[in-house]
Amino acid sequence: MVPVARRNLFAEKGRFAISVAGVAFAVLLILIVLALYRGFNRTGQTFRDLPGELWVVQRGTSDPFHSISLIDRTRLATDTQVAGVRATVPVLARSMNFDAGGSRVSARLMALDVPPDVATDDLRERYLPPEGAVIIDDTLRRKTGLSTGGTAQFGTESLRVERVRPRSPEVLFQFVWVNFADARRVFGIGDVVMYGMVILEPGADATAVAQAITGRDPGLQVYTKEAFAASISKEMDETFLPVIAILVAIGFVVGAAVVGLTIYTATIERTREFGVMKAVGGSGGFLYRIVLSQAAMLTGAGFVVGALGAWAVAQLAIEAVPEFATDFTLADIAGVFVAAVFMALLASFMPVRRINSIDPAIVFRA
Amino acid sequence: MDNCDERHILRATALTKVFAEGDSQVRAIDGVDLRVCPGEMLLIMGPSGSGKTTLLTMLGGLLRPTAGTIEIDGVDITALSESQLTPVRRKSVGFIFQSSNLWESLSVQENIELTLNMAGMKGRAASGRARALLEQQGLGHRLKFRSRNLSGGEKQRVSIARALANEPRLLLADEPTANLDSKHGRDVMHLLRDLSRSAERAVLVVSHDQRIREVTDRVLWLEDGRIKDIAQLARDPVCGASVQMDSAIALEHAGRTYYFCSRDCSWAFQQSPERFVALSTARRAADHG
Repeated sequence: MVPVARRNLFAEKGRFAISVAGVAFAVLLILIVLALYRGFNRTGQTFRDLPGELWVVQRGTSDPFHSISLIDRTRLATDTQVAGVRATVPVLARSMNFDAGGSRVSARLMALDVPPDVATDDLRERYLPPEGAVIIDDTLRRKTGLSTGGTAQFGTESLRVERVRPRSPEVLFQFVWVNFADARRVFGIGDVVMYGMVILEPGADATAVAQAITGRDPGLQVYTKEAFAASISKEMDETFLPVIAILVAIGFVVGAAVVGLTIYTATIERTREFGVMKAVGGSGGFLYRIVLSQAAMLTGAGFVVGALGAWAVAQLAIEAVPEFATDFTLADIAGVFVAAVFMALLASFMPVRRINSIDPAIVFRA
Repeated sequence: MDNCDERHILRATALTKVFAEGDSQVRAIDGVDLRVCPGEMLLIMGPSGSGKTTLLTMLGGLLRPTAGTIEIDGVDITALSESQLTPVRRKSVGFIFQSSNLWESLSVQENIELTLNMAGMKGRAASGRARALLEQQGLGHRLKFRSRNLSGGEKQRVSIARALANEPRLLLADEPTANLDSKHGRDVMHLLRDLSRSAERAVLVVSHDQRIREVTDRVLWLEDGRIKDIAQLARDPVCGASVQMDSAIALEHAGRTYYFCSRDCSWAFQQSPERFVALSTARRAADHG
């Protein structure tokens, strides 16, 4: 088959390039916004990664970041001793400013008092620094300039960086993992903890355990790790989703408008040529296929350039802004592709109507 | 030549086209009867606004008549829906336009291939046939050229090759020589005549170009949408000029009638009839390629 659509598009290379850039911009905008949303929405992932299946908090605590939970350590230990519980890990956590390398930054300090029989090498590597030391992630390293061996001032305590872990998915706050004894001193509290991280026996029913704990102590509240993490992302959803929806819609409209105008202009300019096709026996379907192919090619090229551009922009942004968190999911990319296909179909509507209205007798007009 | 009985390729009966209504009504074509036979080249002439292009447009199935019928190869195209007309235009009619109307973003070869694609021929078969058609037109060296880069004469030959792509039996040409210089115009005229002679094809030409009279079999004069005069043409055996049979000097020789443009030619013929009969026969043979 003669590639009429391609020939028509490439006959005006400048306009084709501008149109591809327009579609690419729309795709880039949509993908970056979605990737940012996904990236931000992974805030709370730390709670999913930790080994505790349940999180015990003071009743009324809404989420780990914006709500204070204070539980007497002895009470926590006693009231979580129910069937199915392997261990309850006392957790200290709070957001605070600290001084590092001459700058003052904010992070979330977190300390786990993991019993020796539960503390695996992986847990030690990731979350359990020795006394006098902290573990930070790469994002915080880039923000503060701290590196392994460097020191930071947490209140009156000077703590050394034991190691730097790879970038974590936490966006709003970076975590500083502190030794439990250090945390007690830094926070200046006695025998009080913020949360209890409950590690279950293999095969234990999490719901039944949660009910047993709250049954023993109605002053406690139990979240599954998923619910605890989701209580953070819920805030993200409520704050960002409407904004994201609007930005995605704008991107879609911009993309559809660019493709539509390009194909419509190309159709108008070639009215006589389409008229000749009709005159010499080109069926409606044959002509529609040309228009749809033009729209599909333009959208396809724009999609590829836009997707690659979005990835490149994300990489550059991460270099410039350490907290810039993006997560390109296959589902989102596929979704944007489907949206792009829909965009192409929508953009073809007006040109197809135009083709319908072309009188083939136009060919006999000089 | 219009007495081809049932073998005609094109027949229009009481063809009428009325534009607008009421006081502004215009009868562009008014009760035209017409028959075009296989192997015939018919020229439609007439002043501007006489309805030539309207007639051609209707005959090609691009405009519906207000009344009357058009048969192409025995099919009444006025009874067909638009979707049924499309394959008729694709298979049975070839169009040649004044301004070529080539697809400018395509190469010369692709212009022909696309027409074949529309009729369902694809791949190597289509490219092979496109190449062959263009080589026949002496355009084998222009296959990959963009059509916009061709000369006027070359464009018109590509247009003719495109019209022939799906082997239609009827060619409709609208002012095919209007945009060409005299040499290329003459080439196109002779090419059209040859096409009518070969493959029992009918060629119907609308033109102001008087030179085309020389190569056509019949001239139809259209004025105010009506046929005023149908001139049957013959070739003067002496000078080769095209003459109208009904007004020319006629002489019988060996059971056949010969027509002359002037007394001088008829006198010359009478002096040496065998010589001019042989010359006439040679010319006819040349006409048939």
